[in-house]
Amino acid sequence: MEVSTPSGVGEPDARAGPGAAEGPRLRVRARAPGEPRRVAYLYLAPALVFYLIFAFGPLLYTTWLSLFRWDGLTVGTWVGLDNYSQVLSDPSIRGSFVHSLVLIVFFSLIPCALGLLLASVIAHSRVRGAGFFRAVLFMPQTIATVVVAIAWTWIYAQQGPINEALRAVGLGGIARSWLGDFDFALPALGLVGTWVMFGVCMVLFIAGIQKIPLSLYEAARVDGAGRVRELLAVTLPSLRGELAVALTITTIFALRTFDLIYVTTSGGPGSATTVPAVLVYQNAFSNGRVGLAAAVAVVLTVVIFAVVFLITRIVDRDPTR
Amino acid sequence: MLVIAGCGGTPGQDKPDESQQDSSAAVKTDGFESLGDVRLRAVFSEDSGGPRNAIRQLTREFEQKYPNVTVDVTFRDFASWIKQVKLSLAGDKPPDVVAGNQGYQVDGELVKAGLILNLDKYAKAYGWEKQFSPLALQQFKWSTDGKDFGEGSIYGIAQSGQTTGVFANVAKLREAGVDPASLKTFADFEQALATVKSSLPASEPTIMLGNKEQYPAIHMWGTIQGAYEPAQQVRDWIFHRPGKTFDTEGNRASLEKLAAWNKAGYMGKGDDYNGRAEQDAANQFGRGQGAFFLGGNWNAQTIVDGLGKDAMYFNMPPGPTGKKAAIGSASVPIHVSAKSKQADLAAAYINALAGRDASQPMVDNSMVPAVVDPTAQPRQPFAREIATGWQELLDAGGLTLYPDWSSPTMLETMGQSFQELLAGRASVKDVTSRVQKDWDGYNAELGGQ
Repeated sequence: MEVSTPSGVGEPDARAGPGAAEGPRLRVRARAPGEPRRVAYLYLAPALVFYLIFAFGPLLYTTWLSLFRWDGLTVGTWVGLDNYSQVLSDPSIRGSFVHSLVLIVFFSLIPCALGLLLASVIAHSRVRGAGFFRAVLFMPQTIATVVVAIAWTWIYAQQGPINEALRAVGLGGIARSWLGDFDFALPALGLVGTWVMFGVCMVLFIAGIQKIPLSLYEAARVDGAGRVRELLAVTLPSLRGELAVALTITTIFALRTFDLIYVTTSGGPGSATTVPAVLVYQNAFSNGRVGLAAAVAVVLTVVIFAVVFLITRIVDRDPTR
Repeated sequence: MLVIAGCGGTPGQDKPDESQQDSSAAVKTDGFESLGDVRLRAVFSEDSGGPRNAIRQLTREFEQKYPNVTVDVTFRDFASWIKQVKLSLAGDKPPDVVAGNQGYQVDGELVKAGLILNLDKYAKAYGWEKQFSPLALQQFKWSTDGKDFGEGSIYGIAQSGQTTGVFANVAKLREAGVDPASLKTFADFEQALATVKSSLPASEPTIMLGNKEQYPAIHMWGTIQGAYEPAQQVRDWIFHRPGKTFDTEGNRASLEKLAAWNKAGYMGKGDDYNGRAEQDAANQFGRGQGAFFLGGNWNAQTIVDGLGKDAMYFNMPPGPTGKKAAIGSASVPIHVSAKSKQADLAAAYINALAGRDASQPMVDNSMVPAVVDPTAQPRQPFAREIATGWQELLDAGGLTLYPDWSSPTMLETMGQSFQELLAGRASVKDVTSRVQKDWDGYNAELGGQ
């Protein structure tokens, strides 16, 4: 990074004047008018310094730690890429990444689909109190995850409202402690994520839809398009940007989720709901395997970058550009 | 760019030089009045009210004895403290006195890193070798490199005795026509399970279990393991004595039995107990759900609060080994930070908390003092049963400690594989091989064979 010196960045050159050795210095215009000036870096500097210290630095350091076998206290031992080969070969660690992929479906794909559906219904309708409903649907997003987790622990409990409702309608046979069941715990947690995330998707899409010129819809209607056709031909293509944002936010949430799972199941039963972030925590702070934890964290970061990159490439690509 | 600059080095610190600690220096055990105003900081990990009260009261007494001494006591919950204690002690200004946890996950690492003080000279000065039974003291002994567990120097002492055993709801047993006094052998107990089950409604579990945290099933199994596997063999395995294995006849038989009990429906439905926390299970048992609760005596207060006169506690009757044995140990060890400026005073405080004269406040709070001849005895019958449970196991050499002490990752390995065994997703063979693989891996790290 280069921070430009004050001279030559645009202010009048005070040193140039009569009697200067080479006469009045010509100011060389190195840049076209309107081109960004290098002083901009100075404005960026505070944020950049913070970013380097608090985001980039730790990332580098984590990567460095991942090359050691280290208990967090005594001197570590250099093991090269051993931790990474363990991440790739250990079935329980691989399993945790698979669980993350399942969560993407629940935290990202379903909320986006649901949000789109709701947005297309709500956006142009004139319902009394639409703002109120929007706020209610968005609310889960504003609640701290730990509170969400504790609330849903009760909702899913053996004597919780879901099971009581099932028993009330004569479906007591399928009532169970949902978070204690090997098969249902992960989907049950996934649905919590759906509940948390669909509101934010919906609000994003509503904002996007309201930007779409009504004339497009009128034109579509003149051409005889129904509601479904309208959604596919007008709404969806216009929402490309919003969709990319929604998918990115929700996918990152799905991949790095920790608090929800730690509070509800701690990764159990067995390892049915273990995700990489829980493994990072357990290995770093309980098991004295800081290097392995760092390796899982690095792989998780790479996966997140890759997925987000894919999303922006596929969804946010404007075919007209 | 300090962080990035730091990247070039190997993480971690060398262990402080032990030779600087003068082991022959005279130990001060009293006369702390002359220190002037001093402040000790102490962190404990007791979750429940009883032990917290006892610590508060003993601390007050210590402060009254030395009015110039103030002790700042902090309580943290056990589960999060064992994750923070290493970081806390590695800091620049660690607390003087902290609770640790036996085994390689916490204490072993603290000893290895030189973060807690070798207390041998204080043990001698206060006579801890005489106050505690060898079986109890063994859990706090380490070689100075933190590799040999169960022998070497003393690094801490503990307040109370923890055992796992059988809590029974006497009213339910009576209804089923089972006399608890008639349960002389493990086979009698199994027979009682069947009898009681047939007298309970189908929706009610015979044994109340809450296994959300994954360790309660390990504790429950420990009462079965004690019937089949000689206690000494269990301890040798935990202490990584050479050539030990988890894959023994006794362990296999006890795991089969655990799975069989589950199959017989004694614990109710799997998703049910996996979704229930240990505390909730104790609460529900106290409210009359289930006839038995196989678990730790730290649940005693909760259970007696609920069941009152119907609460009963006894050790699992002996099985094929002919002796009573179950998971149990002294409670968590209390350590002195290696960086404490007031080591003598801190050791005196520890002695005041856990030594012989600390018995009364503990007994008042339903705890069993860990010392061999406590100066106070409980009066209530149920509290006496709890105390007898500890004493019997101590006398029979039947405390099998906690199997998860055997490696830093064992709690997770066992917790998960036991849960899978109960769900029918893992066989006994899967469990023994996964547990032993974890043990072998750590054994290799320790440099064993």
